[in-house]
Amino acid sequence: MTSTSVASRARTNLPQDVALVDLLDRLLGTGVVLAGDVVVSLAGVDLVRIRLQALLMTVRGPEEEL
Amino acid sequence: MPDRTGRYLYAIGRGIDEEGIARTPGLRAARLCVVEHRGLAAVVSDVDLDEFGEDGLRRNLEDLQWLEEVARTHDAVVRAATAVGPTAPLRLATVCFDDDQVRSRMDQWHDPLVRALDRVDGRVEFSVKAYAAQPEPAGQAATARSGPATGSGAGAAYLQRRREETLRREQAGQDAARDAEALYTVLAEHAVAGRRLQPQDPRLTRHEGTMVLNAAYLVDADEPFTDTVEQAVDRWPGLQVEVNGPWPPYSFATLEEQ
Repeated sequence: MTSTSVASRARTNLPQDVALVDLLDRLLGTGVVLAGDVVVSLAGVDLVRIRLQALLMTVRGPEEEL
Repeated sequence: MPDRTGRYLYAIGRGIDEEGIARTPGLRAARLCVVEHRGLAAVVSDVDLDEFGEDGLRRNLEDLQWLEEVARTHDAVVRAATAVGPTAPLRLATVCFDDDQVRSRMDQWHDPLVRALDRVDGRVEFSVKAYAAQPEPAGQAATARSGPATGSGAGAAYLQRRREETLRREQAGQDAARDAEALYTVLAEHAVAGRRLQPQDPRLTRHEGTMVLNAAYLVDADEPFTDTVEQAVDRWPGLQVEVNGPWPPYSFATLEEQ
């Protein structure tokens, strides 16, 4: 992992700075589709919906729906 | 009394041994174990099914702090495994009841797993996100073009400005989409594979601009991909670009749906 502060408009982040959204994009998104026994019924849209609601609650407060 | 312990699967790889990942703690500080089967190695640890069983997951996945802790631990374990051998990460919260079930999964996924591991061996993932640069403040350009209100009245001039503003925004959006597509294609020439993920909701990115590209690239580990991106972005002044990595190959270890 490299971090650069060149005059370029491309920005690089260190692993500890990785945004939770980016991580969940990969861990819950379509990227990894191995599904285990317990989460089969949670896999797919439902899980992603839960994720977005959970995240939005911290961003905008619980009263707002997606 | 039923056993309330399950096996959480982080990743399946090749050539991964317990010694190689011993310094990384699993969830709730559990010791990481490796289940070997047919030339593959699954990285697992014990979890409490009250927390990670179906009911527990339903409850806990709505708890952002819980989700973040589990996601970051999962990621740390996957990164540790990636440092030892080619690794296919699993989706968050993949839980089996025991090692027999882990092995049966490894049987079920064996051939696609081997193909996935061949694909990612010696390679890493980079994330490239592009945002449309913020348009100039509304009104200025439109006012300059339409000039002062004429005999048709201030109302008509206002509507005219609104129309021009809308057109200008649509044009800017189209330009950004076209630039993002060009950037994606140029970078793909330096990668083994590329994928476009869904652009992230602006309410989640906390970024002012609209995300027009959320791409993942699989690149050879010795490819100076960050440099490549930094050189490429100068061609598209309308885009703000973020490059992030290396990641474990989350977006490229996908198994075909069974």
